[in-house]
Amino acid sequence: MTKDQELTPEKVVKYFIDEFKPKIKDIKIKERAAGSKKNKTPSIWMKIDNSAFKGAVKHLCDLQFPHLAIISGNDLGKTIELIYHFTLNYGNRLGEINLNISVELPKSKPKIETICDYIPGALITEREKQEFLGVKIIGIPDDRRLFLPDDIPKGIYPWRRDETGPEKLYKNLHEVKK
Amino acid sequence: MKFSMLPQVFAQMFKKPFTNKFPAKYTPPSTTKFLEAVGAGKAKLIPPIETPEGFRGKIQFDKDKCIGCNLCIKVCPSGAIESKPEEKKIKIYLARCTFCSQCNDVCPVNCLSMSNEFLLADADKYSKDLIVE
Amino acid sequence: MKQTATTKTSYHIPVGPIHPALKEPVFFEFEIEGERIVDVDVKLGHVHRGIEWASRKRNPIQILYLAERICGICSFCHPAAFTLAVETAADIQAPERAEYLRVIQGEIERITSHVLWAGVAAHEIGFDTVLFLTWQMREKLMDLTEYLCGNRVTKGIMTIGGIRRDITEDMIPKITDTLNYLKDNFEKLRKIFLDDKTIRMRSQGVGILTKENALKLCAVGPTTRASGVKKDVRVDTSYFAYGDLDIDFITPDVLTNEVNGDVYDRIIQRLLEVKQSIGLIEQCLDTMPSGDIVVEPKIPKLLNQLKKVNGEGVGRHEAPRGEVIHYVKFDGENESPYTWKVRAPTYNNILPWIPMLKGEQIADIPIIAASTDPCMSCTNRVAIADGSKKYEMQKEELHRLSIEKTRRLMK
Repeated sequence: MTKDQELTPEKVVKYFIDEFKPKIKDIKIKERAAGSKKNKTPSIWMKIDNSAFKGAVKHLCDLQFPHLAIISGNDLGKTIELIYHFTLNYGNRLGEINLNISVELPKSKPKIETICDYIPGALITEREKQEFLGVKIIGIPDDRRLFLPDDIPKGIYPWRRDETGPEKLYKNLHEVKK
Repeated sequence: MKFSMLPQVFAQMFKKPFTNKFPAKYTPPSTTKFLEAVGAGKAKLIPPIETPEGFRGKIQFDKDKCIGCNLCIKVCPSGAIESKPEEKKIKIYLARCTFCSQCNDVCPVNCLSMSNEFLLADADKYSKDLIVE
Repeated sequence: MKQTATTKTSYHIPVGPIHPALKEPVFFEFEIEGERIVDVDVKLGHVHRGIEWASRKRNPIQILYLAERICGICSFCHPAAFTLAVETAADIQAPERAEYLRVIQGEIERITSHVLWAGVAAHEIGFDTVLFLTWQMREKLMDLTEYLCGNRVTKGIMTIGGIRRDITEDMIPKITDTLNYLKDNFEKLRKIFLDDKTIRMRSQGVGILTKENALKLCAVGPTTRASGVKKDVRVDTSYFAYGDLDIDFITPDVLTNEVNGDVYDRIIQRLLEVKQSIGLIEQCLDTMPSGDIVVEPKIPKLLNQLKKVNGEGVGRHEAPRGEVIHYVKFDGENESPYTWKVRAPTYNNILPWIPMLKGEQIADIPIIAASTDPCMSCTNRVAIADGSKKYEMQKEELHRLSIEKTRRLMK
């Protein structure tokens, strides 16, 4: 972790662009100041094409082993967006860089490759995405359900906003008469 | 040191216990009966520890001041407040209240306030004590 | 998991869903050979309440109180991370004084949680007198919380764009009194934990998480720092007023000059953090600027502003158990967020349990499971299925095993 003392958000972005130029879109570097001294925390947002995603994670691991905080997901109508929230360069005072890599998957074929072989800690969050968003993770070491109970029917994904969403299972307890 | 906790234990033997024995020194077999006895003057209640200033307890509602703007309903996280459109007033179900006092903050005429009353247990969630209107 | 073979010596012990040492349900299945744990499988979700889904019908102000109810001990850090995410998405900057007040609240919560944990850890190895000492300390902190926030557990102190209650001059004596009381008692607690032979015997060399595993499995908070990984959101990034304060990473080698990553190191880690937190509160009280505590006191106006926001934000806060991260996305049309994703620290500290528990004894399960300070579970029942016979092991039984091990070691 010491060799990259000088890692800056610009360097990280350049590192990715050099390798995956046409497959990366919407690169933004945002900075947010806080406190009296207005020290800034940088965060990078980028969109990567699904075909280059696994390579990008490997590329990232070559730069520095990242901490994967969580994968969050959005149902955007026609596509499902997964956002991988990484943090880099931790262990240095005010030196941390947030890296948010988003991947859009078409709903007709929501498949993405696992990153568990590079980052074993991703297993829990990948299992969660699989059951909550109906994304198929290819090559996941353990594909059982994690949070959902066994009696929830297959093909219902609680975070979807379409017909596979959880609407059918609602029980409006507040409608019970007072 | 093998028994590093022993000095503490001996010191504690001569100290007053930290716990306040509310409502009685020994737990009564039936709290309801005990409270009835207290009401009749036959038993004595050990009072609870006083709450500090700014404690968020049972909501008090000043009905005359209320203008029926329904802003409190908009911010209430638990849906504990119901509108009474014909009177332009509100009705609060304390059984659902989470005591966050957000309605107090949002009220433009300050008709809501928090008291320090916190003993609100009841067998019926729609009992008269648990509805403020 | 494989079926138990009749010829093989290994057998399976399910622990949970109501389980040893902890406060919320989780399910473990251990594969045991003699007394040794060979393999562990963890199942979650027994208390999944769909909180993120519930947010779809609520506006951000209502979600603050929903977030507060994710966990009773972390009732500041979830609203804090949510607020940070919303403020990032909407580009709201809280006043400077509010940033300092938020740090004070966050650190009080950290001390409360760590002191509570120290008691629970002592209880797990059968050292109940320490439990009562720590909980007495905690009671003072709860009183302080009640004095500053208005309630003991659900603080209701956070709001978007600031904080709801100020700390005025006349409140400071009570805070310093409590801090002084804590410092006195902290010394006692430190002696008991670090010098006592019983605690050393039960915790040294037990439940080891190597630095490599901690990095690979993305562990967070005191669990990862006790393994020597320097990762602390308060130090790494600048949020609230942490960027202004004098704060450095704490790892157990500060005190012992070596990192083993065992249960003992995790105890040291948390005790050192209590001391650090007391220092941080004092720094804040000294350097706190004056001024407003909330940027937009009119809540309807704030809600209108948030309704127009179209964007996303991530909020990260170092909770007592580690990094908590919330992701919020607004679509600019609805009042409620389009997506809200919560990640509590224990979520990342589940996988590290597996290398910690492998190779240990059944009697060590409670203390190892408790050593990551998981935000789930409470002991109740362990069923040992041995062929056709079925025994039920109560919580008391597992606890008794743990105490018996302590007694054996003391002889």
